[in-house]
Amino acid sequence: MSPDNTNVPSTRSWRDISQPVKSRAMSRGGRVRLVLAAARSLAFGLLVAGVAWGCWTVFEALQHDGQPKSAAAKTGPLKTPELVRSHDGVLDNAWLVRTLRLPAGISLIELDLANLRERLLADRQVLTAGLTRHFPDRLTVQITERMPIARVRVKESGEERDFLVAGDGVVYLGSGYDVGILRTLPWLDGLRLARDGTGFRASVDLDPVARLLVAAQYSAPHLYRTWQTVSLARLVLDRELEVTNGQGVTVVFNAKGEFFPQLARLDFVLERRDRLQMAGTMRIDLSLGREVPFTIEPSPAVEAKSVAARAPTPPATLTFQLRTKREL
Amino acid sequence: MNSKTCFIGAVEIGTSKITVLIGEYTGRELAIIGRGECSSRGVFKGMVADYKAASDATHSAVEQAEREAGERIDYVFLSQTGSHLEGFYNEAAVNVKASDNMIDQGDVRTVCELAKAKELPVGRAVVHNIRRPFRVDGRLVPGNPENLVGQRLDVGYWTVHGQEQRLADNIHVIRGFNLEVRELVLASLASGHMVTSPEERQHGVLAIDIGGGTTDFVLYRDGAPHTTGVVPVGGSHLTNDLSIGLRLTEGQAEKLKLRFGRAGIITKDKAQKVWLDGNFAIGDRQFPQLAIEQITSARIWELLEVVKKKLGSSFSPQTCASGVVLTGGTAKLAGIAETAAKVFGVPAHLGEAPTWISENLRDPSYHTALGLLYYGVNAKAEKTKSPRRRGGLLESVTRLFAQS
Repeated sequence: MSPDNTNVPSTRSWRDISQPVKSRAMSRGGRVRLVLAAARSLAFGLLVAGVAWGCWTVFEALQHDGQPKSAAAKTGPLKTPELVRSHDGVLDNAWLVRTLRLPAGISLIELDLANLRERLLADRQVLTAGLTRHFPDRLTVQITERMPIARVRVKESGEERDFLVAGDGVVYLGSGYDVGILRTLPWLDGLRLARDGTGFRASVDLDPVARLLVAAQYSAPHLYRTWQTVSLARLVLDRELEVTNGQGVTVVFNAKGEFFPQLARLDFVLERRDRLQMAGTMRIDLSLGREVPFTIEPSPAVEAKSVAARAPTPPATLTFQLRTKREL
Repeated sequence: MNSKTCFIGAVEIGTSKITVLIGEYTGRELAIIGRGECSSRGVFKGMVADYKAASDATHSAVEQAEREAGERIDYVFLSQTGSHLEGFYNEAAVNVKASDNMIDQGDVRTVCELAKAKELPVGRAVVHNIRRPFRVDGRLVPGNPENLVGQRLDVGYWTVHGQEQRLADNIHVIRGFNLEVRELVLASLASGHMVTSPEERQHGVLAIDIGGGTTDFVLYRDGAPHTTGVVPVGGSHLTNDLSIGLRLTEGQAEKLKLRFGRAGIITKDKAQKVWLDGNFAIGDRQFPQLAIEQITSARIWELLEVVKKKLGSSFSPQTCASGVVLTGGTAKLAGIAETAAKVFGVPAHLGEAPTWISENLRDPSYHTALGLLYYGVNAKAEKTKSPRRRGGLLESVTRLFAQS
């Protein structure tokens, strides 16, 4: 017989017999094949579903002006940025808003974080800045600020302006500080400045100055409160710092050594002077280690001077040798 | 391997042996890549009697074939035999509708539907509807009569049907391995397709497949199957006869049949004896050769006579010019062709597979499985080709424009 002579039966045919059998009628091999077939079907179904989902995603993306609609794009206008500052910082949210200058209605995804960071760092009071997006509409800004150790008066274009000096030598205007606290900062004298971008930077290493002032601030605050000027005139050549207070006392510190012992000796000398009721301008040299020569120029009490920067007091003519503490 | 490649399993659940062949079909070529065999269990006269035993044996053969092929079967062509299979002929005629008497597709479809519209008894299901050639005004038309001119169109169908439960049992054995039965093919059609050539079928040929428990036959006339049938007698009956006649166990009788059985008597000497085992061991004994030949030849003669009787008037030496072709495991019995020639009065020979079949598959016991593959693939190819011709893309587009 040739197959073209066979037609499909129209009456009940063997093809009408139900083929599926119950699981118990299947052999172990048959059950294994059944499970494999089911797994294959499942995998195929998942594949089809995956492809369908992919197509739908692409279709959805094309529906939105040809641009993929990400979670970020679904966000609304940005809320006011939040400032997270270090514990001793003084800058506030108003400063942040002023500095970032964000356009109204901008969305979070549209922000150029690198550019905004540059804007923040352009304020020389800011040491580090980090910006973080929090979808859908929050921006947080973490900053650490420079802490001023002293003040300096700069004459620029015939106009004098007061700046703050940080420990790393950066000179900046400073904002948000309490005026009372700023007044306690000593002035720096003899400081050479160099241009640094749009601002200034100390041309010498201010680390000894910073260490001295911090040590004085925390170890001998009663002395520090009276300090008016710190002269750097002899820092480079002699490694000496000259501090003048408002009571006519000039103290020379050794910038190479530890400041705590020097402050202790200074405190001792000043205490002895007060006890002996020795009046007059005084110059104390702490740069010689255990020997502390000081001169006292007998004169009327030194008048209180203004907080404005001034030149150090010239040294006295009399010289005493401070041999030991016991001798004194 | 292209995406159209599929792996087809041809499964023959026989009474004595289960054979599975795996064909890799690419849509153009068919290559046999795996073979599995297993002694049959739970099958009686071609029908499943013990589902569990038959399933285990079949699945074992399928697994063996899949291991050899290194591939998994996609679907199965299953052979069908058994005494429950019966056939009848029904014909119909229509007057050609067209005024110019040109036969159109509607005439062909109508006459075919009428010829097949014969109700079956309850519990029976059609296995094959085998169409015989069309006749236009009594004139034989081997091909499609469409566009021929005539007043009357006749066609007849040989419908093979079987008991639905028996068919379901066979199908469920395959489904028990989670395989789909795509085609159910009469064993006689499968083996007959393999051992006869188109020329022999055109001239008329009778193909007889003598298996272990059944004998399937198909008579071809005018290039198409004319009559099919199944006789529930096979090689196992020869074994049984020897066992009873010579008082032997089944195994001993089977051994004697294979070694000394003949379909005709050639031994003259009554005293000529043969040894059962031939190793002269304890229990080995002698049997008269003549007795063996008498028993086997009588049974074969009777079997062939039954086949001839079942064919009835359909068979005559004039309409079966190409003679008889014998195949199946029992066809290896010596002298069977001569006996068949005497019974049917026409030349008879043992069927051989086409030369392009590899040597290890040329044994007659593989003819049914081979035929299953080739017959099934041809049927499948025809089925897939036809709709394309009728409803191709071009035709769809043409119809679309015609409607608008």
